Amino acid sequence: MTELATMDFHPQPQAGEAKPWAFPAPERGTLDNGLTVLRCHRPGQQVVAVEMLLDAPLEAEPAGLDGVATIMARAFSEGTDKHSAEEFAAELERCGGTLDAYADHPGVRLSLEVPASRLAKGLGLIADALRAPAFADSEVERLVRNRLDEIPHELANPSRRAAKELSKELFPASSRMSRPRQGSEETVTGIDSATVRAFYEQHVRPATATAVVVGDLTGVDLDALLGDTLGTWTGSAGRPRPIPAVVADDTGRVVIVDRPGAVQTQLLLGRIGPDRHDRVWPAQVLGTYCLGGTLTSRLDRVLREEKGYTYGVRAFGQVLRSAPDGTGAALLAISGSVDTPNTGPALDDLWTVLRTLAAEGLTDAERDVAVQNLVGVAPLKYETAAAVASTLADQVEQHLPDHYQADLYRQLAATGTVEATAAVVNAFPVDRLVTVLVGDAAQIKAPVEALGIGEVTVVTAE
Amino acid sequence: MPMGHTATAQAGSGGLTATEHRLANGLRVVLSEDHLTPVAAVCLWYDVGSRHEVKGRTGLAHLFEHLMFQGSAQVKGNGHFELVQGAGGSLNGTTSFERTNYFETMPAHQLELALWLEADRMGSLLTALDDESMENQRDVVKNERRQRYDNVPYGTAFEKLTALAYPEGHPYHHTPIGSMADLDAATLEDARAFFRTYYAPNNAVLSVVGDIDPEQTLAWIEKYFGSIPPHDGKPAPRDGTLPDVMGGQLREIVEEEVPARALMAAYRLPEDGTRACDAVDLALTVLGGGESSRLYNRLVRRDRTAVAAGFGLLRLAGTPSLGWLDVKTSGDVEVPVIEAAIDEELARFAAEGPTAEEMERAQAQLEREWLDRLGTVAGRADELCRYAVLFGDPQLALTAVQRVLEVTAEEVQEVAKARLRPDNRAVLVYEPVAAEAEDTEEAAAVAGTDENEEAAK
Repeated sequence: MTELATMDFHPQPQAGEAKPWAFPAPERGTLDNGLTVLRCHRPGQQVVAVEMLLDAPLEAEPAGLDGVATIMARAFSEGTDKHSAEEFAAELERCGGTLDAYADHPGVRLSLEVPASRLAKGLGLIADALRAPAFADSEVERLVRNRLDEIPHELANPSRRAAKELSKELFPASSRMSRPRQGSEETVTGIDSATVRAFYEQHVRPATATAVVVGDLTGVDLDALLGDTLGTWTGSAGRPRPIPAVVADDTGRVVIVDRPGAVQTQLLLGRIGPDRHDRVWPAQVLGTYCLGGTLTSRLDRVLREEKGYTYGVRAFGQVLRSAPDGTGAALLAISGSVDTPNTGPALDDLWTVLRTLAAEGLTDAERDVAVQNLVGVAPLKYETAAAVASTLADQVEQHLPDHYQADLYRQLAATGTVEATAAVVNAFPVDRLVTVLVGDAAQIKAPVEALGIGEVTVVTAE
Repeated sequence: MPMGHTATAQAGSGGLTATEHRLANGLRVVLSEDHLTPVAAVCLWYDVGSRHEVKGRTGLAHLFEHLMFQGSAQVKGNGHFELVQGAGGSLNGTTSFERTNYFETMPAHQLELALWLEADRMGSLLTALDDESMENQRDVVKNERRQRYDNVPYGTAFEKLTALAYPEGHPYHHTPIGSMADLDAATLEDARAFFRTYYAPNNAVLSVVGDIDPEQTLAWIEKYFGSIPPHDGKPAPRDGTLPDVMGGQLREIVEEEVPARALMAAYRLPEDGTRACDAVDLALTVLGGGESSRLYNRLVRRDRTAVAAGFGLLRLAGTPSLGWLDVKTSGDVEVPVIEAAIDEELARFAAEGPTAEEMERAQAQLEREWLDRLGTVAGRADELCRYAVLFGDPQLALTAVQRVLEVTAEEVQEVAKARLRPDNRAVLVYEPVAAEAEDTEEAAAVAGTDENEEAAK
C-alpha cells in the first residue's frame, strides 16, 4: 500500500557547466641540509598541514626489535633539548597544533596540523623533535609499557585481529610484513632508549627526509621559516637502501580465528597485487570500486541492500611498499562483518558475485558511474590542506612523480569497461584469496567448509 | 519569499557570512557563499531525534533515516546514492538524540540535483516506502548495532552510561541505535506515522554552503521544496529538564570479556548554548583533552596507572550535557587507585582553577577544532543547521569560537566546582572475566568520537 504525494514534481535537473579543477601541483625544492621540501598554497585553508617523511622503513628494524620504529616515532613528541615531555605537549597544544606520528613499511611519518598564524611555532617544535629528540630513558620506558598495554586491546578488536592474521598467512615468516607493524609483546619488551637512539642515528637524517607543507601561505615567508627551523637540522649524507621484493602465498584457504560467542564474523579476504607504478592501477581502482567501493557496488547491492547480512562490505587496494623500479605491491582485499548465522550464506554470495563478475564482466553503465564518482569527488576530497598534504606525501613515499595524482584522474577518465573488468578479475581471482574469519568457529566452520573455497583451519584467539 | 537580510561579517566570524530565508511552507533556509573551491554542500536537519521516540520503539528515528535512502516518488531504489555518487558527490545521513541530518557535498555544477533529491524524499517518501525496504534495512541496522556496539570490547559502554545518567522514562535514557527487541518490533506503519509526524518542511532547516549563486539557489529551493505542504501535528518532545546535579553517585559494575579494567563516568553538565557549557568545555579540555591535560599527565605520564585517559563533552540542548570520562587501566592496576587519583585532580582543579597557561592551551585547542569544522563547506553547512534548529539563529555558528575565547578562568573554575563532583556522576567500571563459551556476550567499545550518531552508510 502506498500513498499519493501532494507536491509538484519536476523532472530531474541537468548538471550545469563544470568548473575547472585540478589536483594542485606542488613546488619542489631542497634546503641546504639536503631536506626535500614540497609546498603548496591553498587559499582559505587556515589550518596548515605539514607532513614529514623519514626513510626509516620497518624492514630496517633490527632483528627481534619489531616496534622500535613505532616507539621512536612516538618518542619524537616526548621531549627535546629545549622542552621536557610534558612541556613539549603543552607547547604544541598552546599553538593549537596536533602531531601524529607512526611507523609503517615505507617509513616513519609525522603529521602536524597547526593554524597558519602559529605555523612558525609549530615548525619550530617539529624541527626540535627531529633535530634533538631527548629519548629520555624514563619516557621511552613509559612508551614501551604503554605499547605493551595496547596489545591486548588490539587483539580483542575483530578487525585488527583479522588484519594481524592475514599478514601472518600471506607473507613468509622471514618478511617483516608477516609481523605486526607496531611489534609484538615479545619484541616490544626488548626496546629501550639505547635501541631507539641507535635506530634514530642510523636512519633519520635531513638528506633522506621530506617535508610537505600545504595551506593558506598568504603573507608567510616560508623560506625564512624553514631556514630557522627544519633548516637547522644537520646530518650525514644518506645511503640508498635496497627495497626488498614483496612476496606472498595466496593459495586459496580459510583461517578461522575462534571467538566463541561472537555475534558477528569479521571477514578479511586478501592477496597482493600491483601498486601505483603498474599501468593497470587506474583500471584496478575503477574495477575495485565497481566491485565494492560503496553501498551501490556489486558486493553491497547483494550482501547489504538485498540480503541485509551486513552493515557494509568494501573492496580496496592499499599500497604496502613501492620501489622506484616498480617491484612494489599493494594489498588487495575485501572486508566487512556479517552476522554469525549468515556467515556461510554471505560468503557463498560473495563468491557468486566474484564468479559472475569474472564470467560476465562489468557493464558500461557501472563503469561510467564509477568514473564520474572517482573523478568527480576530487575537489571535495581535496578541500582541506591535510588531504592534499597526505596525498603528496604518499607520492613521495611511493617514489611517484609529483604530478601522479593529477595524471591518475586523466587516466581514470580514459579507462574503458573491458580494461576495468580485466583488472578487477585479475585482482580478485576466486581460487587465490586468503580468507580470514574472526568469529565463533563452532557455528561457522561447517557452513564455510561446505562452500569449498579452500582448506579451513581454526586458530585460538589469545 | 523575500530575500533575507545579508549579514555583513561579524567580529570573530573569520569573515564568513550567512543569509536566512523562509519559504511559505515554513522551510527555513540558510545560505553561505564561498568561492574558493568549486564545491557546494547541502545539509538538511530535521528537528527529530531519538529523544522523540516512545517506549518500545527505540531506534526508530535511526531506522527511519535508513529508509530515507530507499527511494521516493521519482527516485527508484538506491537512486539517491547512485545519482549523487554518479554526479561526483558524497553523501550520508546521521541520527543523534536531538536531530536527524542528511547531507550531500557536490561539485558546484551539480548542486541542483542534490536539492531535487532532498525535496523528492521530503515530499513523497511514502509513495515508495514498502515492506521489502523495511525488512531489509531492519536487518542492516541490526548488523550495524552488532558491528559497532555488540561485537567490540566496551562497545555498549556509552549505552549503559547514558541509561545511568538519564533516569528511566527520560527522553535521553536510551541512545539512537535502540534495542534489538525494539528494532524487531518496529512496523511499516510506525515508519509511516513517523514520517507524517516529523518530516515536514516546517520541521526542517536547509543550508547550502559553497560556490553558489544565492539568488539562483534560492529559486531552485523554492521550485523544488515550495509546494511541499507543511504539517503541524508534531507533538512537543517529552521534557528533558533535570536538576543541575544528580545529587548522588550512581554506579554499575560490568563483568565482561574485555582486555583491561576500565573506569568510565558521565558527569551532568550545563546545556549546550549556554556560556557555562563553553566554560565546562574548557574545563574538560584542561583536565582531559590531549596529551598535556592534567589527567593524562597524572595517570599516563606520572603514576603510569593508565593506558589512556581523557574527557569528552557531549553537548545537548534539550537536557543537561554529558561530560564523558574514559580511562583504561595499565597492567594489573585496580580501579580504586585510578578513581582516587581522578577525584584528587578534580578537587584540586575546583579549588585552584586553571592556570593562565592552561586557559591559553585549552582555548587554542578549541579554536583549532572550530577552524577545522568551519574549514570545509560540509562542516559549515552542518553547524549553520545546528544553530538554526537548536537555538533559532544560524549566525551563532559563525561567532561560536569568539564566545569560547571570551570565557574567563573564574567561570571555568566556577562550573568545575559546581559540576565536576563525585555526587554528580554515573560511573561504569569494567572488570574483565575469562572467556566462557556460548553465551559470552562481548560488549562495549571505544568507538569513535561520534558515538552518539548513527549513520546510514
